[in-house]
Amino acid sequence: MSALFVIEQFVKRFESRELFSIPKLELERGASYVLTGDNGAGKTTLLKALAGLESAQFGAIQYQGREVGADVLGELRRDVVYVHQHPYLFDTTIAANIAYGLKLRGIVANEIKRRVETAIEWAKLGEFRDTPPLRLSGGEKQRVALARAWVLQAPVMLFDEPTANLDHASRDRVIELIEQAVSDNNCVVVACHDQEIISLPHVRRLHLERGMISSQ
Amino acid sequence: MTDTTIWDATRAAFGLLISGDTELWRTIFISLRVSIIALVIATPFAIWCGYVLATGRFRCRRPLIVLLQSMLSFPTVVVGLILYLLFTRRGPLGDFHLLFTQDAMIIGQALIAFPVLAAFTLAAVQGADSRIRETALSLGANRWQAALTLLREVRFGVTASVLNGFGRVISEVGCAMMVGGNIAGVTRNIPTAIALETSKGEFAQGIALGAVLLILALGINIMLSSLQGRGVK
Repeated sequence: MSALFVIEQFVKRFESRELFSIPKLELERGASYVLTGDNGAGKTTLLKALAGLESAQFGAIQYQGREVGADVLGELRRDVVYVHQHPYLFDTTIAANIAYGLKLRGIVANEIKRRVETAIEWAKLGEFRDTPPLRLSGGEKQRVALARAWVLQAPVMLFDEPTANLDHASRDRVIELIEQAVSDNNCVVVACHDQEIISLPHVRRLHLERGMISSQ
Repeated sequence: MTDTTIWDATRAAFGLLISGDTELWRTIFISLRVSIIALVIATPFAIWCGYVLATGRFRCRRPLIVLLQSMLSFPTVVVGLILYLLFTRRGPLGDFHLLFTQDAMIIGQALIAFPVLAAFTLAAVQGADSRIRETALSLGANRWQAALTLLREVRFGVTASVLNGFGRVISEVGCAMMVGGNIAGVTRNIPTAIALETSKGEFAQGIALGAVLLILALGINIMLSSLQGRGVK
């Protein structure tokens, strides 16, 4: 498998505090990773950097062999979907939230409708179809956000603590999504403390500690 | 004025409104026309400016925010004075013959509305959840699409800024008097007409126009209150 992301000499600082310094890290196409580390270790920042939402003080990230700069950022953001630990749902309908990324990609209305229905069914959100997002519970919001990411069939999916807010049934759905995404030959990176995800046999482990990253 | 006179003037005022007094309704029409056009011109620039100041990271950002907020308390009569000096026949823009026209009033009111619109938009965008923009970008939006998404999410705040801007320009008298000249049927709007009619002792006209302004202000506040209620999350 070839490297999808190559991170080199990547240093992230917040004022004088160095969050992490990564000499070199490669993420391979079609491989899935679990990123562990204590709270505040920099897991979210690293995921956001991969999604093109955070920049570093030093170093660079290469995506598909090209250094991520203004010219690559658009392509990167279309290929990489990042899901927050506490996802934000737009103040509209559930279906419109799921359709958002599809509309940006210029997909025709009928196809959007079909894919949105599939995603609603996949995430078991049918009963919430007409519920305003503000009235959903944390777990239900997470499921909408996952459906919104899943529907795009993006090559790279980054999940930040996706099971942290979920009940047992929803958590099982997320783990199912991760397995499905891996089998679809996607690159999935999950920052989490969930032992069930960490111990998945086909998922590689990365650990952030004291500003350094290690593969396990 | 005695109580009887106030009562008589108020009765006469509502009589004028109901009877469709041409001069009175012409003044109301000019007021609404000038203020609405001024807002239509100022709103896109002000919203863009408020958004850029809220989300941008550039060298002069902080001084610009301070300047914008200071402009909120800028007296409208000073805006009028500056425009008067620019538009007067010997002024740098004298060749455009704008002085004592509705166009000059529109320019003045657009300038007065701008800081209100921009500052309220700035506050609305600054107060927005940082995840909105990140979510939009991560789902494939470019920065313009992300900006539109963010503005849509804070639409209640942005609409409130437009209503506040309208409230400021519809009731301002200083600039309209200076650059409009209070010409009957041409540049006379509600506030300048109230000032004139009161000075002449024509209280009925003044009260009628004042009532229209109050009704407009009440309507704006009802809309604002409704929006604030809907915007609470």
